[in-house]
Amino acid sequence: MTLALVLVIVAAFALVVILGLTVSTRLQLSPGSALARKIEPVDIEAFRNLVDPTENEYLQRRLSPAEFRKVQRERLRAAAAYIRVAGRNAAVLVAIGQAALNASDGATVDAARQLVDNALLLRRNASVALLRIYFALAWPHSALAAAPVLHGYEQLNGRAMLLGRLQNPGVPIRIAAN
Amino acid sequence: MLQAHSLLWNYLWVAPNLFLLGLGFLIWKRGLSRQVPAFLAFAVLGALGELVVFGADLAPFVSAPNFWRIEWANLLLESLLKFLVIGEIFARVFTQYSSISRVSRVAVSVFGSALVLLAGVIAGFAHGDNSRFLISGVHLLEQTVFVIESGLILFLFLFASYFRLSWDRLSFGVLLGFGVSACVHLAMLAIVANASPSEHVRTLSDFLDMGAFHLCVLIWLYYVLVPQKVVKKSVVPLPENNLAVWNRELERLLQQ
Repeated sequence: MTLALVLVIVAAFALVVILGLTVSTRLQLSPGSALARKIEPVDIEAFRNLVDPTENEYLQRRLSPAEFRKVQRERLRAAAAYIRVAGRNAAVLVAIGQAALNASDGATVDAARQLVDNALLLRRNASVALLRIYFALAWPHSALAAAPVLHGYEQLNGRAMLLGRLQNPGVPIRIAAN
Repeated sequence: MLQAHSLLWNYLWVAPNLFLLGLGFLIWKRGLSRQVPAFLAFAVLGALGELVVFGADLAPFVSAPNFWRIEWANLLLESLLKFLVIGEIFARVFTQYSSISRVSRVAVSVFGSALVLLAGVIAGFAHGDNSRFLISGVHLLEQTVFVIESGLILFLFLFASYFRLSWDRLSFGVLLGFGVSACVHLAMLAIVANASPSEHVRTLSDFLDMGAFHLCVLIWLYYVLVPQKVVKKSVVPLPENNLAVWNRELERLLQQ
C-alpha cells in the first residue's frame, strides 16, 4: 500500500510538472523585442579579473590564509553572480536565435544557428562552472576553472552581434558592458 | 454505466484505437511519416494490437490463458514502440545542436539506466495482484514500463526547459500525449499492482486508464490536424545600444 501511495504521488507530481512546463512553454512565445530586453549587460572585464589565476596567486601571497579565504569566498560569490547572469542571457539568446531560424535569409539562419549553438554551450558551461564555484566556496584553495565560460561568453558576444547586424544592421545587440 | 463491458467501456476500449488508426492514416497522408516513422508505427501497430486484444476478450473460443498471452505479446510490442517514439522525439529535439548533442545523449543514457534500475527495484517490492504470474506479470511489466516512460518524458521536458529549447509542434504534441498517458497509467497500475483493490476500484481504474488514453489520442489528433499559427516574421527589434562601445569591446577581446 505504501509503495502504491508513493507511486501515485510521484506520478501526480510528474503530471503536474509536465502540464506546468507545457503551459509555461506556450506562454513564453513573447516577441523578440520583449526577449531582447531581458538581456542584462555583463561586465566581462570585471568577471575576467575575478577568475584570473594570477590575481588569486597575488592575493594568496599578500594576505594571511584566513584573510585570503575570506576574500576568495567574496570573489567566488561575485563570479557566481556574473555566471548566473551570463547563463540567463544565454537562455534568452537561445530563444532569440531559435526565432530567427525561420528567417528567409540564409545568412541570418546560419548566424542564428551558430548563436543558438554557442548560447547552449555557454548555458552548459555556466552550469558546470557554477557547480565548480560552489565546490570552491567550500574549499577556497582549489583551482577555479571558469575559463570555458569566459571563452564561451566571448564567442557568444560575437555571434549575437553578427545576428543583430544581419537582422537590423543599424541596431546591434549588446550582452557585455564596456 | 461504469461497469466492465458496458457500452461506455466498449467505446473507450475501441474508439481511441480507431482514432489512432485514423491518425496514422493522416500522418501518412500529410507526408509526416518521414518525420515521425516510429510514431506512425506506434499508431498503426499499437492500435491494431489493442483491437486484437479487444477481439480476444470478446471471442468465446479464446481461453483465459490465451487471452493473457495475447495481452503479453501486445504489451511487449507496445512498450518497444513507445521507447522508439521517445528516442525519435529525443533525436528530433536535442541532437540537432552540436553543442548539447553529446551531453544530452550521455544524460539520457545515465538517467534511463537509473530509471531501469529503479523500476526493477519497485517491481521487486511489489507483491503482485494475482497468484498466477501470467496475470500479475502483465501488471508488473506495465508498471515497470510506465515508471521508465514517465521518468524519461519528464527528463526530456525538464532538459528542454532548462536549455530553453523550443519544440516543433508535432514532437511537442506527441511527447505531451505520452507524458499524460504514462503518468495516469502509472498511478492506476500502482494501485492495481500493489494495493489489492476491490473489483469495483479495478473497474474504475480501467475506466480512468481508457479515458486518459482517449484524451491522449485527441491531443495527438489536435497537434496533427490543427496547423501551427503562422506568426508574421519581422525583424527582431534588438535593444537600443552603443555600437562604438560594443565594437571597442570586441576589438579589445580579439587582440588578446
